[in-house]
Parts: sequence; C-alpha cells; structure tokens
Amino acid sequence: MIKRELKVNLKSFIIWLFILIAMFLLVYLIYPYIITDESMKEIDEMMKVFPPEVLKAFNMDVTSITTAYGWFKTEGFMFILLITGIYSSFLGGNILLKEENDKTIEYINSLPIKRNNIITNKVIVGIIYTILIVLLFGLFNFISLKLSGDLDTKQFLLLSITPLFVSLPLFSINLFISTFMHKSRRITGISLGLVFLFYIISVLSELSEEVEFIKYFSLYTLADTRNVISNIEINPIMIIISLLITIIFITLSYVKYNKKELV
Amino acid sequence: MSEVIIELKHLKKYYGNSRGIEDVSLKINKGEIYGFIGPNGAGKSTTIRTIMGLINKTSGNIYINGKDLEFDDINVKKRIGYLPSEVNLYGDMTTKEILNYHETFYNKNLGKRMNELVKLFKIDLNKKIEDLSLGNLKKVGIVLALMHEPDILILDEPTSGLDPIMQNTFHDLLLKEKEKGTTILYSSHVLSEVSSVCDKVGLIKDGKIIKEDTIENIKKDNYTYLRIISKDIENIKKELKLKVYKENNNEVIFFNNLKPNELINKLCKYNIESLLIEEVSLEDLFINYYK
Repeated sequence: MIKRELKVNLKSFIIWLFILIAMFLLVYLIYPYIITDESMKEIDEMMKVFPPEVLKAFNMDVTSITTAYGWFKTEGFMFILLITGIYSSFLGGNILLKEENDKTIEYINSLPIKRNNIITNKVIVGIIYTILIVLLFGLFNFISLKLSGDLDTKQFLLLSITPLFVSLPLFSINLFISTFMHKSRRITGISLGLVFLFYIISVLSELSEEVEFIKYFSLYTLADTRNVISNIEINPIMIIISLLITIIFITLSYVKYNKKELV
Repeated sequence: MSEVIIELKHLKKYYGNSRGIEDVSLKINKGEIYGFIGPNGAGKSTTIRTIMGLINKTSGNIYINGKDLEFDDINVKKRIGYLPSEVNLYGDMTTKEILNYHETFYNKNLGKRMNELVKLFKIDLNKKIEDLSLGNLKKVGIVLALMHEPDILILDEPTSGLDPIMQNTFHDLLLKEKEKGTTILYSSHVLSEVSSVCDKVGLIKDGKIIKEDTIENIKKDNYTYLRIISKDIENIKKELKLKVYKENNNEVIFFNNLKPNELINKLCKYNIESLLIEEVSLEDLFINYYK
C-alpha cells in the first residue's frame, strides 16, 4: 500500500518541487543583473522608506539583499515557508480524505486491512514527501548558492531545515481536520486559509512589541528564522514543540478516524 | 440444523435525526442466498454498509458465525467478498494493476481464480479503470469481490449495469458459489431478478424488514389479480375481504388468493359487468401486497 501511496502522491510532489525550483532558478539567474552598484543605491534609498518593523518582518534588518544568498534569507525564505507550508497542508488535508472524496474508501475498507494501518501508510508517505520537498529543495538551493560563491554553509543548512518545523505540524493539523470531512472541496480552502492565517499572525507579531504575544498563535514562530540567521543555531524548544504538535494531531487523527462514518 | 453464518438482530442506524434503518433482523444460513429486496431508500445499502463497518450502528447486533462482529476484524474481512452498488476504483490503474494490487492484501496466490473470473467475464486487462464503462467496471468489481475465494459474499445491487447475458453468467456463478457453501447476501430492488437464485427473500421497507419468506412459499400463495367492474362493488369488497391493489369508481383490482370455486360461489350473487383474472408478478406481490 505504501508503494501505491508513494506513486499516487509523486505527481503533485514533482509539480510543487518544480514550481519552487523554477521560481528560485529564475531569481538566481536574473539576480546578478538586477543587483548592480547603481541599483543597490536605489534599494538602499527604498529601504529607508520602510519602517524598521516591516524590515524586521522580512528579516531585512539582520541580513542584506545585495547577494542571492541575502535574497534567499529574506524574501526567498518567506516563499519557501509559505509554499512548503501550503504543500504539506494540502497533503495532510487530502491524503486520507481523497479515498472518501473519490469513493474508493468502500474498496479499501473491504480489504483485510485495519483503519489504523490505512492511516499509518498515509502518514508515513505524507511525512516522507513533507521532508523530501524541504530536503530536495534545500539541495537545489545549496548547489545554486554555492555556485554563486557566497554561502555560510552552517547557517544555510540550519535555515534549510526550519520549514520542517512548520510543515510537519501543518500536515498533521490538516490531517486531523480532514477526519471531520467527507469531501476534499472544503478542506482545500481551510488548508490554504490556515497557512495564510498563521503567516499573517507571524508577520503582524513582528510589527509591534504590543502585539508580539500573538506570535504564540502562529506555527510560523516555530521556524524561528531570525534566530537561525542571527545566532546560527536552532532553538531545541522549537523542535520539541513542533514534534509535539505533530504527534498530538496525528494521534488525534487515529482516534477520530477510527470512529468516523465513511460515507 | 444449518449453521447460521450472518445474523442481524434489531439493527438500527440513525444519521442524527434521520433514519437509515429502524429494525433489521435476519438470519442467513451457510450456503444460502438471501435476497434483500426493497425500493430505493428503504435501507438496503445502510444495512450493508453497517455490516461492512463503513458506518457505525446506532443499536442492535451483527453476528458472524454466532460471534459479535468486532470493529475492523481482519479475520472476518478476509472471509468477505464485497461488491458495492457503485464500484469506485483507482482511475489511474489498469484492470490488471488493480487485480494484482488486490492480491497483495491476501497472503495467498489468487492468480488461478483471478484468471478464471477474468475469462468468464471477458475482462480487458489492459484498459485503464477510468476508461471502463459502468458495466465493465461492475465486472471488475465482481472479480475483486470473488477472487480471494471468500465464504461470505455481500452484494449490493450486483447486476446493475450488466447486460442480460452477463447477468445470467453472474447468477450461474452465484449458484456455483452456493454449492461450494458460500453464504450470500444479495441486495436488489428487483425481486424477479433475484428470485431465480435466492433461497429466501426479505423485504425491507422504511428501514424495517416487513416480510421474510422463501421464494417457494411466496409462489405457493398463488396470488392473482382479480379485476371486477360492478355497481355492487362495495358489497363485493365486504364479501371477498381481499386486499385492494387499485380502485377507481366501480372498478377494483384485488390481490386474490381464493380458490376458483370459492370465488365463483361468492361472486355469483352479484351483478358483475366485467371480470378478469391475471397472474401477479412476484414484484407486484412483494411491493404491493406485503406493504
């Protein structure tokens, strides 16, 4: 069953990975042409217009966008977090629900396999692809940035795995939400909405100290990119919280799915 | 005494406030084909889906070989071949791929039986599931339900979409399965279709089994339609005490099981304009008489 699941989800995995690679490849190819001494002056002028809070929200206060790696750490990383987040959300929301949506659940359920095993197979494949998209895309960035010559390897490696701290919980939360539904149509909006909601909360929390506390309501806080960029270390608390959320929601999914009416 | 394989006791299923099934009790013995008959929405599929564990019963019991059916019991699942009313399979797979995939879930070689069934139903192994017509998809569903040689078959409207030749092939196959001792629950809304293969039929209506009998007994009652046009029709109705099928002014159609002599004796004293006696189909009998 795992083999079948890997095959079924491979196509969308490749598409998502291709979108990410194509987007970044384009930036890497044109970046040297955009960033000239002259344009840098213009960018510097432009930066002065933005309040420091906005620059902070995009990590632009702790890094410079004068190089491709600089762009990667700021705007680029925002895209990575969002796109890998959306991918894992969709994956979590659909991997189990697809069987009901396509009405193939009636067939699977008639086979001598327990519901728990169905979930286990799906969760394993979901986690494999969630990790794989981050790793393969990280590898692509590593090669690309290495070729551009400017790269802090340790910082890059640590930064590259931080999307996992967001995407694994997103996968599990969406998996859990999907156990309350019967059609894929509704979960897609929820998955997308959840990612943007968490992201917006995270951005807003950076804008003012008064609302900083709202960061505790966003999974994107777990990516902790500012800390990784500034201190070149991952806060173990973030890893623990991320794993805890993932484990809790996957466990809840097992419980709920075993009681679910598969209609 | 025959061994009871499937037994439902006061099975009830409500979806919130709306009724799925109200009270379904039945027993199916080993090697018996049980026709589960009822109109659309009567609760046939709900009963079957409850047995299959897709939905949770509200109350009542399901016994397999006298044992309470536990949730997700793999050993019972191995013994069951299930054909849903709508066959939905993975569209991206070819027929051969889905049959091979099916085999991976059973720890035995199913190749021989699979090939027999593929040949019998003339299945094109290279076609993609998404390209199959409704009838061909149903045939693949039948092969999947039977290829692991289950001793219990649960079939929900199995012949819908099949052409008459394939229906016959399928019924012959069921009779062979019955000979082997396979216990079969056969749901359909067409009684005449199942009457040739079923030993027993149960009529489900509004979520309740309202009549259960053998085909032999139903036929033995020897019902006919009795169509009478008469100005004395009200008195005739009182005299005959028969169930009315249809009525319109002076014309009434009865379900009649009176012997000819008895009928003539009772009717001879009335002024009758027209009298017609016709055979009742099993269908009409079940749907209308027992309702």
